[in-house]
Amino acid sequence: MEYILEVNNVSKKYDTFALKDVSFKLPKGMIMGFIGENGAGKTTTIKIILDIIKTYEGNIKIFGQDKNTELNKDIGVVLDDAFFPEILTPKDIDIIMQDIYENWDSKLYNDYLNKFNLQNKPIKTFSKGMRKKLEIITALSHHPKLLILDEPTSGLDPVGRSEIIDIFQDFIQNEDCSILFSTHITTDLEHIADYITFINNGEIVLSKTSDEILNNFGIVKCSEKEFKKVDKKDYLKYRLNACDYELLVENKKDFKKKYDFKIIDKITLDELMVMMIKGE
Amino acid sequence: MLGFIKKELLMIKGNFKSIWLILIIYLLIGIFNKMDVSFILPFICTVIMISTFSYDNLNSWDAYAFTLPNGRKNLVKSKYLVTILTILFFSILSIPLSILITHLNNLPVNYLEILVTLFGAIFGTLFIISIMYPIIYKLGIEKARITIFVIIFGIAIVGAILIQFVNFEFIPNIISTLSNYLIPILIIILILSVLISYFISLKIVSKKEY
Repeated sequence: MEYILEVNNVSKKYDTFALKDVSFKLPKGMIMGFIGENGAGKTTTIKIILDIIKTYEGNIKIFGQDKNTELNKDIGVVLDDAFFPEILTPKDIDIIMQDIYENWDSKLYNDYLNKFNLQNKPIKTFSKGMRKKLEIITALSHHPKLLILDEPTSGLDPVGRSEIIDIFQDFIQNEDCSILFSTHITTDLEHIADYITFINNGEIVLSKTSDEILNNFGIVKCSEKEFKKVDKKDYLKYRLNACDYELLVENKKDFKKKYDFKIIDKITLDELMVMMIKGE
Repeated sequence: MLGFIKKELLMIKGNFKSIWLILIIYLLIGIFNKMDVSFILPFICTVIMISTFSYDNLNSWDAYAFTLPNGRKNLVKSKYLVTILTILFFSILSIPLSILITHLNNLPVNYLEILVTLFGAIFGTLFIISIMYPIIYKLGIEKARITIFVIIFGIAIVGAILIQFVNFEFIPNIISTLSNYLIPILIIILILSVLISYFISLKIVSKKEY
């Protein structure tokens, strides 16, 4: 399999937080959802990939090459809280980007501006959602091969989120392109992400295909008596609710074969996150 | 690189209303005080450029710029180039304005004085900027403002103390001895200070993390 992005054993220490041995691989033509609670290390990882943070241990390959600034021309970026100064207008960004990216597509950019009804006014007059849309279409308009998006849908209403998700799906139609999409709004990912990488407290907890997670993982609901019968190695985490136990299992079918429990639910990414973080 | 230069120019353009206001105030000061204020104009460039740093900081432009092709290098290069261009533009603009003010005040026009004053202003402005920019890149605009204020205040205090205790009569003698070489020496000092400042800023930004 050809990988567009390879993050290998990346570590970075701060006084109060550390990324520990972060590794994952994003294949060509795929969308990877990068999930985790606030402060889990998503933005730090993305900043390391994008060279905003320079000192770290480990190795990062983009398009099969060791990370270097020359590769930036084929990467589209949306950062959580960094963009053009708000005194500028969308038209200014068009003028500027024509001389920054060789592949800048002014027509595509202006089509997007019209589609999202973004007028040529200083960015400071835009709502948070409009700014986010402008950041996203700016990231898309030089035909990048890799999109790296840090919380791209935060601040967007459900309609805006749906419009943006549609654009990402169009973008991925080109099988040479990939998206790394960090978010804590996991419902955005369930329909579009091919891979899910889950980071918690600076460590990668799992990195698998969405199908593997959504089809195999499950939530078992049982009584205390039933819970005591379950072998510890047959579940990943458990939680005690008001009157029952919830168990996160990695393979629903195997669990069903071994134990005769009635309630084994399909898992959502939200439930997975909560169980992984809050479960024991 | 050109894109980064355009970004700086468009930001200055976005601030044009306040620049016009400064120009009008500057003209009025000159007319009402019956004095040549051409030296002020290059210094206004410092204010204009510092405001671009503030806007950059407000929207974390530097972090975004790092993700663009050759972002770190172009970020610094464009800031220095546009600063020099802006100072030159305002310096050239201040020549006709100085002549106009002198005419409006019914005073004889002394071209040599205008040019010497202007050269002094350009020298002073670029020298200040050479000190300021690496501090801004190292500390960020907010902390740099305080640091620069402390440095300038410190220099003023030291200067005031020195004037009390040291006899500076030797300075005119040195200047007259060097008179033939004064301008070239100042130009060399200026170019060196800008170049050293640029390379220090580049080194700071090449290691900067957000």
